[in-house]
Amino acid sequence: MNKQQANPAFLQLIEQNRGIIFKICNSYCASKNDREDLAQEIIYQLWKSGNNFDGNYKFTTWMYRIALNVAISFYRKTAKNSATVSLSEGDIDIEDKTGEGYETEENFRLLQQAVNELKELDRALMILYLEAKSYREIAEVTGLTETNVATRINRIKDKLKQKLLTVNK
Amino acid sequence: MEDIELQKIWAEYDRKLEESRVLNLQSWALNLKSFEAIQMQKAKTKLNRLASFKIGAVVLGIVWVLFLSFLIFNRLTWQGIIFNISAGMIVLITAIAIIVYIKHVVLIRQIDNSENIVDTQRKLALLQSSTIRIIGILWLQLPFYATFFLTPSMLYNWSMWQWLIVISVTGLFTIAALWLYKNISYKNKNKKWFRVLFNSTEWTSVTRAMFFLDEIEEFKKNN
Repeated sequence: MNKQQANPAFLQLIEQNRGIIFKICNSYCASKNDREDLAQEIIYQLWKSGNNFDGNYKFTTWMYRIALNVAISFYRKTAKNSATVSLSEGDIDIEDKTGEGYETEENFRLLQQAVNELKELDRALMILYLEAKSYREIAEVTGLTETNVATRINRIKDKLKQKLLTVNK
Repeated sequence: MEDIELQKIWAEYDRKLEESRVLNLQSWALNLKSFEAIQMQKAKTKLNRLASFKIGAVVLGIVWVLFLSFLIFNRLTWQGIIFNISAGMIVLITAIAIIVYIKHVVLIRQIDNSENIVDTQRKLALLQSSTIRIIGILWLQLPFYATFFLTPSMLYNWSMWQWLIVISVTGLFTIAALWLYKNISYKNKNKKWFRVLFNSTEWTSVTRAMFFLDEIEEFKKNN
């Protein structure tokens, strides 16, 4: 085991950015067990690739690359006939079913569902967009050009908006 | 909802993740012993399994090549000439397949998840789908299985009918082998005969990888 990779500072960095792993696991896995397996796989790959961390990129860029690559491969391995990931057991519970927060909660659930229904590569793109990453960073993570990133995101965004509007009517 | 702020809605995620216990990541990330356990658990990742499969195929291929080479060297006579040519061609084709497989194993070792998504996923899908290409190469051996048992003395003494049968079978095998070599390819994955041939479960991941390659190409297009 590489001492440098396993040091608390490296783990602290992963811990600080654990939201990335959470969201990616939720977007690519339907069951709680799969999510846990995927999270372990991602952490293992992060730990394993610690030596390859390129200081020219942000830590989060490097982390997104690994997490999304592992998630897409995992999804392709585990997905049977279903092309999408539905929300199911172990998804985040929405406790507030009434009141002002309800619409936001519902929109969040619908958005999560809509993202999970995208193709795996578009899903990666959209997660990065929703995480408010710049087109440049998205391009670095995905390997697309910035122009292509912008074009594709606009197209997917329109579809998602349309979907949310239809459901909310 | 006239103006949906997708990013604003998504931001709800962070709050919810703090509150929920969807994944007990914190305890893993802060526990070095867990990391060691994960390392053990994940020793056999999908890529390692793919590499193991290909290494297994290389070992089997080498055993087959050594066995045939042994037979060739033990029949270095005029009577064994047709056998030697046939077995020699089978050795050659198997050796090509072995080299391709070794190349794949090297490529598997070079796959780096910290590279960008398009490049990494493309390499992975190419590796999976290239198994089909090996099958195409191996089919080239087919005609030689129709000739290895022949000897010059048999040919001298054969009747026209016997000649006709051997020529027909060998010719048919040659046409079939060349056709399969040419057509067992990623480009024909949508053809009905291809889907029938590679319909079984062991080919699912390979055929799926082929379709994923298309998705990657589509994803890369700037239109």
